[in-house]
Amino acid sequence: MNLSQPVRRHWLAAVALSWLGLHGGPAAALDAPSGKVILTLSGKLAQSNDNGSAAFDLAMLQALPQHSFATRTPWFSQPRKFTGVLLRDLVDAVGGSAASLRAIALNDYRVDIPADDLRLHGAMVAYLMDDKPMTVRERGPLLVIYPFDDAPELRTAIYYSRAIWQLRSLELR
Amino acid sequence: MTPGAAADDAPPRRVWLGAVVGVLSLVMLAVAYVQWRQYKLLDSAAHFQNEALGWSFSQLETEQLRLRVQLADYLSDPQPDSADKLQLRYDIFVSRVGLVDHERAAGIMRDQPTYRPAMAQVRAFVKQADRTLGDVPARPLDAAAAAPLMPMLDALNAPLHDLSLGASHLLYERATERNDAVRQQTELGVALTVFQCVLLLALAVIALRQVRALAERRRRLEALAANLHTARHDAEAANRAKSAFLANMSHEIRTPFHGLLGMMSLLQDSRLTPQQATYLDTARESAHHLLTILNDILDISQLETGKLQVNAQTVDLLQLIGQVEALMRAQASTKGLRLRVDVGADVPRWVRADPTRVKQILFNLLSNALKFTPTGTVVLQVACGPHARIDFTVSDTGIGMDEATLGRLFQRFMQGDDTPSRRASGTGLGLEISRDLARLMGGDITVRSQLGAGSAFTAALPLPAVGAPAPSSDAAAAETGRSRPLRVLVAEDHAVNRAYLEAVLDKLGHHGVFTTDGDGAVQAVRDQQPGEEFDVVLMDLHMPGMDGFTAARTIRAMPPPRGRVPIVALTADAFQESRELAREAGMEGFLTKPAHLPQLREALQRYSAGASAHEAEPVDRPVPAAQQSASPLDMLTVDDVRQALSAARYDTVLSGFFESSVAQVGAMRRAAAQSAHTDLQHRAHSMKGAAASLGLRAIAAVAQQLQSPAPHTTTDELTALLDQLDEQFALSRDECLRAGLIGGGGRAVTPPVARAPA
Repeated sequence: MNLSQPVRRHWLAAVALSWLGLHGGPAAALDAPSGKVILTLSGKLAQSNDNGSAAFDLAMLQALPQHSFATRTPWFSQPRKFTGVLLRDLVDAVGGSAASLRAIALNDYRVDIPADDLRLHGAMVAYLMDDKPMTVRERGPLLVIYPFDDAPELRTAIYYSRAIWQLRSLELR
Repeated sequence: MTPGAAADDAPPRRVWLGAVVGVLSLVMLAVAYVQWRQYKLLDSAAHFQNEALGWSFSQLETEQLRLRVQLADYLSDPQPDSADKLQLRYDIFVSRVGLVDHERAAGIMRDQPTYRPAMAQVRAFVKQADRTLGDVPARPLDAAAAAPLMPMLDALNAPLHDLSLGASHLLYERATERNDAVRQQTELGVALTVFQCVLLLALAVIALRQVRALAERRRRLEALAANLHTARHDAEAANRAKSAFLANMSHEIRTPFHGLLGMMSLLQDSRLTPQQATYLDTARESAHHLLTILNDILDISQLETGKLQVNAQTVDLLQLIGQVEALMRAQASTKGLRLRVDVGADVPRWVRADPTRVKQILFNLLSNALKFTPTGTVVLQVACGPHARIDFTVSDTGIGMDEATLGRLFQRFMQGDDTPSRRASGTGLGLEISRDLARLMGGDITVRSQLGAGSAFTAALPLPAVGAPAPSSDAAAAETGRSRPLRVLVAEDHAVNRAYLEAVLDKLGHHGVFTTDGDGAVQAVRDQQPGEEFDVVLMDLHMPGMDGFTAARTIRAMPPPRGRVPIVALTADAFQESRELAREAGMEGFLTKPAHLPQLREALQRYSAGASAHEAEPVDRPVPAAQQSASPLDMLTVDDVRQALSAARYDTVLSGFFESSVAQVGAMRRAAAQSAHTDLQHRAHSMKGAAASLGLRAIAAVAQQLQSPAPHTTTDELTALLDQLDEQFALSRDECLRAGLIGGGGRAVTPPVARAPA
């Protein structure tokens, strides 16, 4: 990575901010995380709090609009209830503009999630399963989940592969 | 294919059709089931992520190796940072264990003997490691606690690698199996689809054959219908020809028959022994009966050919019933029967009806009743029915009829009593004629009867009530059978016809004024003096100069009262077209030549009064061309005319006609030679009218041929016809001489030319 990259990013961020300000959006820069960072967003985003990236702790995620749904998955024999924030809201919170998100897990597993999934299918970053936090052993602390039960077209290997566990970071591309 | 085969074919074809449709439905169900199975298979494969198991085993192996690297790292340098990393690696490893260590995975891996021991080994390691790296560690993490984990972790290398490979191979097999299943099902699907196509084709073929068979059947039916139509047409034509023959024959027979009756009348006036008188009575009775039969046959043939028409006019119904009663009472009393006539109080006096035909029906019903009633009473009951209908019920106390007889009753030539010893005689046509007449009037005849308890025939006829005709002196005169003298203008170009009409008018007591063409008629009407107005005009339609149509129109254009004088058309042709034209020209009446005395009397009475203008009953007696072989004279007409005019006058008129013949035929020959066809035709027309009026049928026939020759008739053919005319003149004159019709008077008669009497 060369040196000019962060500079240009800042400049872009400034333009995006001024645009947001003109249109009455939340002009404040992203708060710095106070607790343990559990998710890092990087890439094409307008607001950052950590040297061009946006670092989130649990409290910051909980500050975003909350959603929950129950669905069956290939990994659990029973339907489970998941609670978290929509990927869409998350990307909006950092002023992101991405065609796709590269999601990376703790074990370096990674998968690309097209931006369409955010709008069309309501993909969510969950931090609660059955209203309980998830440990790493339980594939936590974060995982991407789709409402598989809502649409048959989601019940394919493609979407199952995008439901990444032990989510560590998202790269907006 | 014969019709029988087609009929036998139909049910199996229908069974085939049903079978094919049934099988097709089953095949479609099967295809649907196969496709549903395929869908479920794919859906469950995706849902349970069986393929992911191989990935999970390989991930577990990877995580084990990464954990081992991290453990080695930690053991070489036990820093807190390294400890955190070890903790994370361990947690990730444990999370991976959960993905392969469950019942479903065990089920999938059941053929792998290494699975269960390996899993037990992994669980043992986790149990051991959890003491220091678990959620609630029993002892803190340090090198001493971590060191024993290393050999255990190493020991997992081989089994996890085996499992990873085994799972991969197993899942390849599974994928192959599933692909096979999908392929089999796809093949089955294809086979079913092909079968479906075959069945559809079969269905189409069957449907096509059905359609063809239907088309064929329809074609045959149409052909049959066409044949039937032709056959019916032929049959009708044959029947018409027969009716026409019958009509001609009865007509033919009637003529000599009248002679026979006349002779018998004369014979009765001569001196006879009582025995001879009895014989003569019997002969006359038989002759009258025969005449009735002839009239019946004539009626029926006219009904069949549609020639018979009902001519409605204003009729005094009560008078009509009175006349019928008077005639029938005589018949009843000779048989010792009582005849009672009951006329309902509401029965109208004046109705529109054809009196002749109503009388005919009543006569028939009453004489039947009298015929079949040995003792008792015959009742004629006249009552009003609905819709201006009048019911004439004739009931008797006679022998009655059973059901079978009733069924046969109206059939031709049937009589109630069909036994050989039947007491009644007759043609058996009477009832049929009566019913046909009633139907022609829009009514019908019904019958109720019981064997031995008498019968009741009801003729229900629609006879609408009308107002009484305006009382006039003429009507009064007509009722009393006499009429006041009328001034009659006659426009007629033929001298013989003029002479004939003069004689008839004279006989009727009327005064005739004669003119030879339309101009003369118009002039005469225009110049009539007050007090000498014409009561009626008799107008020949075809005259040289102004014809009858133009003359009528011209007269009608005059101011009243002149323009209102009644005009009666007089013509030798009875075409409907001429009739229409005459009506359009403003002529009220129409008389067909020869106009006999009764018709003339009636027409004069009717039209001179200026009362309701009804057409005279047409006297359709066209000159029958087919009768040339018979007598050249129409004896019926001859008798009529002779009776009307008196023998002497007839002699005079007839002689005049024969005398003028040489000049007439000569003029026609000249016209033919000069190709003056119009002139020739006109002369022929006049001659036809005169000849027909006088009863000279053969001459009239030839004249008619000359009047309307076939197209492209050559002069030679015309000459031949004129020769024929000469010949017929000679023959007719011979016949008249022989019959004593001419030569009786003082007038000299030109001797026959060309040939002597045979």
